[in-house]
Amino acid sequence: MNIYPPATVTQISKTPALVTLLVLILTGTVFGQQRVSRNFPAGKNVRLELKNLSGTITVETWQRDEIKITALMEAPAVHFNPRQTDTGLVIDIVGDNRGRGEVGDVNFKIQVPARSSVDLETRRGQIAVSNVQGDLVRAHVWTSGDIQLSGVNAARVFASNTMGDIYFDGEFASGGTYEFKSGQGTITLRLPASCGFRLVATAPAKKISMGQFWHEGMKLQGEGRRIIGDIGDGRASVTVTTYQGNINFLRR
Amino acid sequence: MNCEKYQDLLSDFIDGSLTSENQNQVDTHLHECETCAEARNDLNAIVVFCREQRGQYEPMPNERALWLRISNMIAAAAPARSQAEVPAEAGWWFRLMNRRWHLSFPQLATSAAALVMVVSLVAVLGSRRLGSGSVAQTEGLTLVSSGASLKDRYRAQQQIIDYWNQRVELNKTRWSPQVRETFERNMSVIDAAVNDSMNRLSENPHDGVSEDILNAALNDKVELLKEFAEL
Repeated sequence: MNIYPPATVTQISKTPALVTLLVLILTGTVFGQQRVSRNFPAGKNVRLELKNLSGTITVETWQRDEIKITALMEAPAVHFNPRQTDTGLVIDIVGDNRGRGEVGDVNFKIQVPARSSVDLETRRGQIAVSNVQGDLVRAHVWTSGDIQLSGVNAARVFASNTMGDIYFDGEFASGGTYEFKSGQGTITLRLPASCGFRLVATAPAKKISMGQFWHEGMKLQGEGRRIIGDIGDGRASVTVTTYQGNINFLRR
Repeated sequence: MNCEKYQDLLSDFIDGSLTSENQNQVDTHLHECETCAEARNDLNAIVVFCREQRGQYEPMPNERALWLRISNMIAAAAPARSQAEVPAEAGWWFRLMNRRWHLSFPQLATSAAALVMVVSLVAVLGSRRLGSGSVAQTEGLTLVSSGASLKDRYRAQQQIIDYWNQRVELNKTRWSPQVRETFERNMSVIDAAVNDSMNRLSENPHDGVSEDILNAALNDKVELLKEFAEL
């Protein structure tokens, strides 16, 4: 007598296939994902340049004098050829894949020494940078994608996108240059009370909220669409522009 | 590379004739260096002006032949130079300043005539700028506040936009629907900023805020088109 019903026999034979499928799902291969991770030796004042086509970029700092790149690549996977230069590391996904047609997103997670400069660009996708304190932080999204810069203390900061919000939580160095620009997003700057800067903020379609940084010496232009004025010692130069969004200043 | 070196490359950068690596390097530097960005804007404005004014001058008979003759005469008169004297990466300014000029009288006369034409063009441009009283320095490009009408300024920028738009349209068919949708949506944001500024300026031509936004938005549009023209 057959004690196993036919259905059960079929289930037993499917088990290895299910396990294989589970492994494939966990490794991401079933979705055509590929994970690449590489470490590069670097000095303390290294410069990282990354030009991505599409996908998120997350940059964090760590204690080691190395740059660690972790890239999660969707199919069809991009050609990925990081180049070490005298000053640091260059990753040009755009250049490396020119003429290949459609390629998949690449989501980067990058760890750098705290004193690094970072120059990041993507055609689409979010950029997040935290605790970088080198000379330059540049984050540019050609189209849609939020930009979040937290714990940033660099002499030059440039953040720009077309659609998406920009959030900056950091400090302005005396004599530094800071530029934030969005087409449609809201720009929020969270700063310590001691911050000193000369401001030109322009938001033609919505409003500019200076919060506790407002004082009577500030000038309004174009019916309040632009605010110009010095805050504190006015030594840093800050330009904030959004075509269709709000501008908010928050005091820490 | 220092600023002087970058400024040597500006002309080729505007023409789009640099290698992609140099193009990217200059582009990055222009985002970071206000002085070089201003130099680029000034050069760009001259290029636009020349294109715009081209139709207002009587063309010389067989203009191309004349220029060929001038360049041939100069090339023939100049002693053969070894390539080693000029570094491969030297810019046009370096090459110009390090060239030896030995001209015969007819060459000199023809060159002088060409120089007079260039000086006249620059003088016209200069007088327009000075005559306008003030020059609005904006994020994007330097525009004469009152010397040229709003329509003239818009038209000049529109010529550049049209050029890049054509290149984008050629490539668009190869894009995925997602890329196309993203591009269109973002372009509409910039167009909205352009239109808003134009409307405000038509109501109040002295609205400095709208003028700055218009210039910035037009520049953003050109940059976005350039970026996507490569896709």
